[in-house]
Amino acid sequence: MEVEGEEKRLHRKQSLYQSLVRFAFFTFSASHFGNFSNMCVWVVGEILICDCFSISLLWVWFFFSLKDEKFQILQTEKYRGQQYSQIYFARLHHMRNLIYTLVPNWKPNLPVTTVLGLEAGKECIVVGTLYKHMKLKPSILDEYSKERSAVPLAKPHNFMHPDDYLVLEDESGRVKLANGILAPSVFVTGLVVALHGKETSDGDFFVQDILEAGLAPQKPLPLGSDEDKYVVFVSGLSVGSSESNPLQIQLLVDHMTGHLGDAKEQNIASQIVRVVIVGNSVNVPVRLLTGQNLASKDQSKLFEPFKELDIFLTQLAAALPVDIMPGSDDPANYSLPQQPLHRCLFPGASAYNTFVSCTNPHSFELDTVRFLGTSGQNIDDLDKYSDAKNKLDFLERTLHWRHLAPTAPNTLGCYPFIDKDPFLIESCPHVYFIGNQSKYETRLLQGSEGQKVRLICVPRFCETGVAVVVNMRNLESHTLSFSTCFDL
Amino acid sequence: MQTNNGGNKRRQPPIAPNPSKRFQPQHHEDESPALEEDEMMDEDVFLEETLIEDEEILRNEQASLALSSRLSKWKRPPLSPSSLSLSQNIIFQQLEIDYVIGDSHQELLPNSSGPAAILRIFGVTKEGHSVCCHVHGFEPYFYISCPPGMGPDDISRFHQTLEGKMREANRNSRAPKFVVRIQMMQKRSIMHYQKQKSQPFLKIVVALPTMVASCRGILERGIQIDGLGCKSFITYESNVLFALRFMIDCNIVGGNWIEVPVGKYKKTAKTISYSQLEFDCLYSELISHPPEGEFSKMAPFRILSFDIECAGRKGLFPEPSHDPVIQVANLVTLQGEDRPFVRNVMTLKSCAPIVGVDVMSFDTEREVLLAWRDFIREVDPDVIIGYNICKFDLPYLIERAETLKIAEFPILGRIKNSRARVKDTTFSSRQYGVRESKDVMIEGRVQFDLLQAMQRDYKLSSYSLNSVSAHFLGEQKEDVHHSIISDLQNGNSETRRRLAVYCLKDAYLPQRLLDKLMFIYNYVEMARVTGVPVSFLLSRGQSIKVLSQLLRKSKQKNLVIPNVKGQGSSQETYEGATVLEARAGFYEKPIATLDFASLYPSIMMAYNLCYCTLVTPEDIRKLNLPPECVTKTPSGDTFVKPSLQKGILPEILEELLAARKRAKADLKEAKDPFVKAVLDGRQLALKISANSVYGFTGATVAQLPCLEISSSVTSFGRQMIEHTKKLVIYGDTDSVMVQFGVPTIEAAMSLGKEAAEYISSTFTKPIKLEFEKIYYPYLLISKKRYAGLLWTNPEKFDKMDTKGIETVRRDNCLLVKNLVTECLHKILIDRDIPGAVQYVKNTISDLLMNRMDLSLLVITKGLTKTGDDYAVKAAHVELAERMRKRDAATAPNVGDRVPYVIIKAAKGAKAYEKSEDPIYVLENNIPIDPQYYLENQISKPLLRIFEPILKNASKELLHGSHTRAVSISTPSNSGIMKFAKKQLTCIGCKALLSNADQTLCSHCKGREAELYCKTVANVSDLEMVFGRLWTQCQECQGSLHQDVLCTSRDCPIFYRRKKAQKDMAEAKLQLDRWKF
Repeated sequence: MEVEGEEKRLHRKQSLYQSLVRFAFFTFSASHFGNFSNMCVWVVGEILICDCFSISLLWVWFFFSLKDEKFQILQTEKYRGQQYSQIYFARLHHMRNLIYTLVPNWKPNLPVTTVLGLEAGKECIVVGTLYKHMKLKPSILDEYSKERSAVPLAKPHNFMHPDDYLVLEDESGRVKLANGILAPSVFVTGLVVALHGKETSDGDFFVQDILEAGLAPQKPLPLGSDEDKYVVFVSGLSVGSSESNPLQIQLLVDHMTGHLGDAKEQNIASQIVRVVIVGNSVNVPVRLLTGQNLASKDQSKLFEPFKELDIFLTQLAAALPVDIMPGSDDPANYSLPQQPLHRCLFPGASAYNTFVSCTNPHSFELDTVRFLGTSGQNIDDLDKYSDAKNKLDFLERTLHWRHLAPTAPNTLGCYPFIDKDPFLIESCPHVYFIGNQSKYETRLLQGSEGQKVRLICVPRFCETGVAVVVNMRNLESHTLSFSTCFDL
Repeated sequence: MQTNNGGNKRRQPPIAPNPSKRFQPQHHEDESPALEEDEMMDEDVFLEETLIEDEEILRNEQASLALSSRLSKWKRPPLSPSSLSLSQNIIFQQLEIDYVIGDSHQELLPNSSGPAAILRIFGVTKEGHSVCCHVHGFEPYFYISCPPGMGPDDISRFHQTLEGKMREANRNSRAPKFVVRIQMMQKRSIMHYQKQKSQPFLKIVVALPTMVASCRGILERGIQIDGLGCKSFITYESNVLFALRFMIDCNIVGGNWIEVPVGKYKKTAKTISYSQLEFDCLYSELISHPPEGEFSKMAPFRILSFDIECAGRKGLFPEPSHDPVIQVANLVTLQGEDRPFVRNVMTLKSCAPIVGVDVMSFDTEREVLLAWRDFIREVDPDVIIGYNICKFDLPYLIERAETLKIAEFPILGRIKNSRARVKDTTFSSRQYGVRESKDVMIEGRVQFDLLQAMQRDYKLSSYSLNSVSAHFLGEQKEDVHHSIISDLQNGNSETRRRLAVYCLKDAYLPQRLLDKLMFIYNYVEMARVTGVPVSFLLSRGQSIKVLSQLLRKSKQKNLVIPNVKGQGSSQETYEGATVLEARAGFYEKPIATLDFASLYPSIMMAYNLCYCTLVTPEDIRKLNLPPECVTKTPSGDTFVKPSLQKGILPEILEELLAARKRAKADLKEAKDPFVKAVLDGRQLALKISANSVYGFTGATVAQLPCLEISSSVTSFGRQMIEHTKKLVIYGDTDSVMVQFGVPTIEAAMSLGKEAAEYISSTFTKPIKLEFEKIYYPYLLISKKRYAGLLWTNPEKFDKMDTKGIETVRRDNCLLVKNLVTECLHKILIDRDIPGAVQYVKNTISDLLMNRMDLSLLVITKGLTKTGDDYAVKAAHVELAERMRKRDAATAPNVGDRVPYVIIKAAKGAKAYEKSEDPIYVLENNIPIDPQYYLENQISKPLLRIFEPILKNASKELLHGSHTRAVSISTPSNSGIMKFAKKQLTCIGCKALLSNADQTLCSHCKGREAELYCKTVANVSDLEMVFGRLWTQCQECQGSLHQDVLCTSRDCPIFYRRKKAQKDMAEAKLQLDRWKF
């Protein structure tokens, strides 16, 4: 076991801080335990040297395994003129096989057919991809071809309209779904479901019942562990934006690295085994990226937020493992799955092997507890094209649909995969987190087969000052709230 | 001419090699080729030679027995017992009237014998039963003025002479009698004001309609009459089409309801049509209902919309002599319903099923064609619509059947055993220009080609089904290139299904256009208002409509209309409308626009201008009319006032305008959307008709030109515009623009209204100047070119109104349109002139820096002839030629539109050598020629807009500092590049990299993060565009699981989509270089 130690003196920006805290700490970390390619055993020990010279040594053991490989776009995957039909085909193919295994338990006596095989008046089951025809859906054609009207087009937050209707499609054709039990407001394009109904005389399909794939099977949680292990989720740091407050972020960092609070709090902090930064960590001044070479003044302006972020990340990575996911505002590609932020952006933090730049969506396992999450694009898109009481319902729906992002590629950018659909949820996570939401919401979802999923909306930190902590032992979650209101 | 009209009864071999030759319309011989309006065309006469042997039919009917059971479910509803037993009045809406030559009906007309014209009225009852009514006893006739001193005895002698002459002229005719009778009538010519109420006229009734022309010829050339010597006559109403004559005399207007009382009709002994109700009756027994109340409704016609697909050979447009018809898609809709009740497609070779569509597959083309014929017969459509069916689909089917020797195919009409025939026609009119077209006669069914209707009624930059549906239905149509069609056909049943879906969509779009634009309502209403059959409206010009009204009115007034055609008056012209000199400038105060409401009709009414009120110069002296009873027009002609003689044209106009007022008032009241549609169609038809009356008098080679009337009208018009000139900044044909100098819109509006009232009071009624709208601000460029914000209420402007500015021109690239629209928007709506200037500068800079989206630069021209036929070398023709050499399969053919961009070429290259296919340009990185676009495309329109606004516009916009930076892409296919060695360069500074694994050179290492951000931002933008473009195409094609095939170059995102794909691939490679 290789042990490396490091001491670091940190620079504080806030004078208040500087007078309070001045210490050094060591981190012992051991990596490459065994020869597992993707799995490592981390032994994190922290020796905290505080003002009172008391030394506490804590050891937390855990297993980590990254499950991101299906979200990686390899160098061999190129744009060769392939279209989006292939990803829909792969999705339909996979989901249909799955749903076919469920149908006998659902409605054993009904014949299963394709859209083409529908016969007027005959009840049957059809599996296909839903397509929602939306009147208000913005079209790139309109932007491009319509003459500029005197009245600017209003940009609604939500594109729903009472006239929207659903269409079911498979390789053989499509059929319009007549008013049945299906509310178009709940469903979105790209979803694969089984429908029970019959064709009407008009050639529409009258839906009587619907079967979604339901929650995927879940690995059981490790039993009997009485050790608290925490994972912290934070999103929307937006370093460099006008809303971001460096002090708030520093407080968070210091808390997680155990430099704040009393012994009890430090004890809890020492049980944090991982920090996941769920997207939108920096705010790049977009106007600078026009394709022209930058003046040196602008270069520094562009790079300032990265430097700042790198300092925070370096502090974190020095203390505990950090995952950073790209988000919609980060310097990453636009379409899902977003590829890891390049290491050259974080020269300091990337020196640590505790620092993992990962994809969005991001999936990993800690001690057999399965985590899955995105930086929020998939849920935000659902919010634009469908309707729910709160964001958690969307989360729940995607799990029931066994698909992370059904609206990709239709309204959500997505790489045109040829033979797979990486967004299918093949096994149910224990913790499902979505970043960059307006407020913290959480719920424990219980599946019919005993699945237990902690659903979390991680709020934007720059707006709320809230990070979310999940206890792996019992899947309970609470918030860490940092407020920096001073009346000086 | 004689030979054409004589032998009606000759038997012909079953297939007439070229029937059109034998049916040359009569006038072709004596009329000059430079006809402006071709109104003389007589109807086709349906002769036995087009009928084929019964046995042949029988044989084939057995073969298709299996199919017929499939088709029979679409039959019309069965007849009720009372109509079967002929015990009720038959009421039906007629759609089509024609006539045949047959033996006169022995029961109805016991006194006559020999061949006679039998009119056939095709229509639909309100229950949806098809009707074919044979009308007997109506005889063709015309008038000549009776020479003075001719008595009853002279008439019978004259009759004999004429009969003799006719027999001489039509030697091979079997007709027992040519001139049936000659009657003396008291009538009056419509031409010129006359004091006496009537004069003796001779009504010459002939046996057959075709004899009218022959007889007219004899009389016009001169005839020897005993006691009077050789005399030539002016004939009256001798050029009226027989069916129209019948309609006028029976008060039938196009598309109205006809009732035949019970007992007055007889069931036809041997039915010759496929109609459900077929009967004979006398013309005098018909009751024609005016289209009011209950009878303003529409019967449930069956409308068939269809489209065919042909498997063309590579690089050639499909020709019926080679290329098979592979699919026919059909949709049948009942008038008034919004969904088709029949949807089917007939395919050659197997085709996978399609949801909601009856797919019928056949092994041979013969079966496909015959199945379609049987389908037509079973469904029995009243109206056949489609896109370009008259010029392409229908002739193609018929000619293809001829090639395959399927003699029994073209029985598509309602008459048993009668073939549909194709003939070439040219339709030319001053309004619509010359159109070559093919005429397919399908008896009893109205053909309505949406393409023709579009070309007539709308000015569009392109008439492809694609752009028309994008324009009116707001959706892009998937376009499958004809070179792919053969591949799809030669694939499997799935690929053919793909094609069938496409074909069905093409068949459905015309139906949707028909509904959306309410063509059925508008055209039927137009037919009702003007009194001509619906089919005339598309195939003929404006003047037949006016003539029809004139004839109807004259008949009431006991007037006759001379046939004065071909007087060589085509040389004469008269002074047209006046356009006041425009005071160009940018007006930032409200400009009021005053309009003469229906100016020309009003003038004609106000001054009683008509044929029958015109006083000839001799008559002025002779008649000695008191000056208070006449009007002397500014052009020097004299018309009498209504006190002496009320004009017919003013009366027609008054009725039309009164009817329009009524229709508009009813429209306001109406609640039912169908009634509303009818009324709106009617008021539109009335307006168009009123305006075309003036044109009728001025069309120098039309039926009854009278330049005295038309030049008087325009001279009055000019006078009126001059009259209002003082305040005016600009005046057009019938409107003037006034600047009152007040700053607010309200003030300008009230002043405008006041002024209009005041000026109106100085005119003769009903000429009225109306306040119409305010322009504020207003950019007046020159005559007929202006732009402004239009206000009709002071709160909010209605729209931006432009005229004569490059916002819609078709041969400009999209860039020009976008630029001009955006500039006008900025100038007029945002009132931001510096912003507009900046926008122009940015655009020009983008163009020079090669940042312009290629689709904005595409210029499109139609390829009408092959290269050799063009006298001057044209860019698009040369390009088509070059593309053919590259790949004949995808090269454009005659009839296609050729899109091209102008590329940079060697110095001194001709403009036509610089054209290139946009796709080729994209694929090979060929640099475009920004200078060409700057100088030849955007400079003129821009300067036009900015010159009234800016000083030194040209210098400021086209030669500023923004034009200094230029960037040109390097072509990837040029000769020199073949010798170049590819080496990686640093992403930051383009310095060559020695080690291929690197991304950046040592100098740029420090800028790693910045350069990475740049690359990734570029990728991110492209990904967004890529995703949106390709999902949009999926949306258009209506399928998620199938690849997009569309190659519609009319689609605004076609090139962008292609470019996004290519750029994306490149950007991904760039990005991948970072993952060392």
